Amino acid sequence: MKWSGYKNLEELTEHDDANLDLLKRRIVIAGLIILFFGVIIFARLWFLQIYKGDEYRNRADNNRVRMREIEAPRGNVFDSKGREMVTNRPSFNVVLVREDSNDVDQLLKKLATALDIDISLLWEKLREASGKPRHIPIRLIEDVDWETLAYVENHNQKFPGIRIETVPVRVYHYENLAAHVIGYLGEISKKELAARDSKIYTGGDLIGKMGLERLHEADLRGEKGSSSSEVDARGFEQQLLKNVEPLPGKDIQLTIDAELQKVAEDLMEAGDKAGAVVAMEVKTGRMLVLASNPVLPLDQFVGGISHKNWNALLDNTKHPLINKVVQAMYPPGSVYKMMTAMAGLALGVINEDTVLYCPGHYTFGKRRYHCWKRGGHGAVNLKRAISESCDVYFYQVGLRVGVDKLAEYANKFGLGHKSGIEMEHEKSGLTPTKEWKKRRRGQKWQDGETLSVAIGQGFNLVTPLQICLMTATIANGGTQYLPQIIEKVTDPDGEVLKQFEPVVVSELAGEKQFLPLIRNGMEEVIQGRRGTARKVRIKGVTIGGKTGTAQVVRLKQYKHLKEEDIPYKYRDHAWFTCYAPAEDPEIAITVLVEHGLHGGSGAGPVARALLEEYFSDYLKRLAEQEEEGKKNE
Amino acid sequence: MFRIDRRFFQNFDWILLLLLLAVACMALMNLYSASYPPSPYGISPFLKQCYLFLFGAMGILFILFFDYRELHFWNYPFYAIIIILLLIVLFAGNSAGGAQRWINLGFFKLQPSELAKLMMVVTLASYYSRKEQSEGYGLRDMVTPVLLTLLPFMLILKQPDLGTALMLIIVFVSMTVFAKLRWQTYGVGVILGSGAAIFAWFYLLRDYQKQRIETLLNPSKDPMGQGYQILQSKIAVGSGGIGGKGYMEGTQGHLHFLPERHTDFAFSVWGEEWGFVGSMVFLGVYFSMLFWGLYVAMTARDRFGVFLSFGVVMLIFWQAVINLLMILGFLPVVGIPLPLVSYGGSSLLTTLLALGLLMNIRMRRFQTGQNTEKMN
Repeated sequence: MKWSGYKNLEELTEHDDANLDLLKRRIVIAGLIILFFGVIIFARLWFLQIYKGDEYRNRADNNRVRMREIEAPRGNVFDSKGREMVTNRPSFNVVLVREDSNDVDQLLKKLATALDIDISLLWEKLREASGKPRHIPIRLIEDVDWETLAYVENHNQKFPGIRIETVPVRVYHYENLAAHVIGYLGEISKKELAARDSKIYTGGDLIGKMGLERLHEADLRGEKGSSSSEVDARGFEQQLLKNVEPLPGKDIQLTIDAELQKVAEDLMEAGDKAGAVVAMEVKTGRMLVLASNPVLPLDQFVGGISHKNWNALLDNTKHPLINKVVQAMYPPGSVYKMMTAMAGLALGVINEDTVLYCPGHYTFGKRRYHCWKRGGHGAVNLKRAISESCDVYFYQVGLRVGVDKLAEYANKFGLGHKSGIEMEHEKSGLTPTKEWKKRRRGQKWQDGETLSVAIGQGFNLVTPLQICLMTATIANGGTQYLPQIIEKVTDPDGEVLKQFEPVVVSELAGEKQFLPLIRNGMEEVIQGRRGTARKVRIKGVTIGGKTGTAQVVRLKQYKHLKEEDIPYKYRDHAWFTCYAPAEDPEIAITVLVEHGLHGGSGAGPVARALLEEYFSDYLKRLAEQEEEGKKNE
Repeated sequence: MFRIDRRFFQNFDWILLLLLLAVACMALMNLYSASYPPSPYGISPFLKQCYLFLFGAMGILFILFFDYRELHFWNYPFYAIIIILLLIVLFAGNSAGGAQRWINLGFFKLQPSELAKLMMVVTLASYYSRKEQSEGYGLRDMVTPVLLTLLPFMLILKQPDLGTALMLIIVFVSMTVFAKLRWQTYGVGVILGSGAAIFAWFYLLRDYQKQRIETLLNPSKDPMGQGYQILQSKIAVGSGGIGGKGYMEGTQGHLHFLPERHTDFAFSVWGEEWGFVGSMVFLGVYFSMLFWGLYVAMTARDRFGVFLSFGVVMLIFWQAVINLLMILGFLPVVGIPLPLVSYGGSSLLTTLLALGLLMNIRMRRFQTGQNTEKMN
């Protein structure tokens, strides 16, 4: 043990001396230092665990608990017969929760490689959402196929922060059918978000942008659910803590008959026609068909319409974005003549037997006003005047009645004001009066203008819906019903919240006695030998109707041209409106074909097809009976 | 050589053993929770630590049969062995996380830098107890201990293991101040020390080490990096509240928000699951153990015993304080374990051996140099 400098232990201990006590006194100081740090640690623990304990408890919970919203399936839409029109299906989106990923760059690279997609798309999505909080999921890829879904689900350990989100999306069983009525959904805009309850809506939600989806947003929306799960530091879910199932939206049954609507839209589409088809139950106000062609391509709106598609819709000369049932106004043309007749009868300036002479024109002031039939109709009574649509007859009735009275009666049948139907941007139309011209144009009314108004030209403007309402009011004996599109609203438990009930807007008083005279004329239009819409005739069903031609422009240069040679946009609009069966009317149908030239040929066949569909059961039975009858003979 | 007689039991330090057992129980309990669920591969940290405690206990028993003063003779051989081990680590050690710290013995991964801490205590105690200066040590006296410290310090810093290297300095300063220096010597020491620190900041510290210190000054700068660990640790401890979340119920730990939760951050798990009350119980026992160590130093019979027991207490105390202050967000993450509590074999064995030395000193407090023969 030489290296230590000592031979044995005894030699060592000889060093011990009085200084040992001095040394031991320093131990006390060391003890105080230990105590000092002990107190610091004590105080720090007190501060963290007691003073700030609740705060840190919250932070620990925020660390581990992730709440995510579960979107509610929107309410379904059914037609009047209970056919599914719009329902939902689950769609799977690949989403990223940035908070749960340590390295988003690396993660996206891995994901893009694994799924073989362009990474710049993912960057784009990330950039769009850069302002959102980190725990809000960002949709990277929407509506993925089963293969992708299975891959991501099976490899979720490889992609911390990436998740599959299941959301309901709309399924349109009839494609674009009644698109203007049903409308579409879109991502909620910042403006919409600001105007709504932030407890219900959050960024990225879908919201009704048009039509029923917008007007009945509150019914269809449902209530979101939520699920809270515990996640670990890498973002993997450990266990479900709480689950609140979403409450589906309320189902809406429309008064629209999808098959009927389909007949209308398909026929219009097949003829490449732009315009509107409206059908309603005359004794209830139920709208059976509300078609506006060209239809909106709803599929383009799912997930947000592209700029290109939107501009194409805007530039389309047939204006698919406009719901022509209520948002477009046209001169009524000859279908207005019923109003002129009604005013004349009610004011007593004519009666059933009044005969006026039509030489083919009528001279008023210094001008000659032509009848559409150059050769003239000769002596005409009311029935013939309507069935053959004699302009000269109605010029004279109009003059006797005066423009203000014409407007008054037109208003009683629903023209000149909004109907109150649940559709957006309804136009009120125009029934001109002397006072209106003074006010709006600052000019005195010229009596010559009354002649134009009496045959439905001039300042007159109507929507197709208004003409249908007018027809229904004539057909049902003078009651104006509120046009409605909702049959019933049902909550998810099946409880009926709202049930259709007819609403009477107004009723004609004594004047209703004259309606049969007008209906006689209208029935003659179809059933008569010289009626203008003989083509619409259906064996077994008596129909009353009226054709109309609404002049778009009166240009000399096109006068001598054949109709087919006139440029499309200058061609006349074609009207046809009718009701059936004449004995006890049930349905009124109005067809407007933009630039369709003649009511009888351009619009009539559509109405005829609708009637055949509507009365198909009856007609079938009729045909069977006939077969039977033949056999029996 | 030696025989076991009645006095072995009479003089045995039952109190320290009791305190040690109490700490060990809490530490193992905590480790079970902190390392749950156990990895399916290999032996679980909990079981491994249990075995190590038993192994350490046998080690304590073994050294109890020798008089601690024998260390005077074995001091330099031990020192040489440790230095050789540190050199082996540098050239043939196992690396993890960019640092070479271990020698793989097959059944056990030895971390010589842990043993170096205890060796430092023994070496300095031996030096100061032999070379007594009642006026305080002068500059020339300090050359040997400074060199003895710097050699292992540099070797450990090279691994690199900043925390352990710093521990050597801390042990050196504690024991030297305890031994008393002359005022001039303090002055020169402070000047040289700060000069070395400045030199180290610019030339020796690696970027990640600097970053750790910077993070401490501004933790919110990088919440996912160094600051993240400290923040999660504070959340864990703070969310424990008064009564804690319950054993095995800590969410911060079990959901992996806590980093290194069974090694350096083991006490965070304890704080989260047992709350303020549990923390007080633990710290009460732990600090009692330290104070008892000081009492052992007070009652030691010779200068070597005083220095040795004081050094052992300081070794455990500074590691514990630095670890706790780090967990509670007062110090940067430096990688210093909480002795007896953090998982890690070398650290545990070193600490147990150190406590064994304390017991040894306590046991032999009544024996004078003259009657040593009676004992042997």
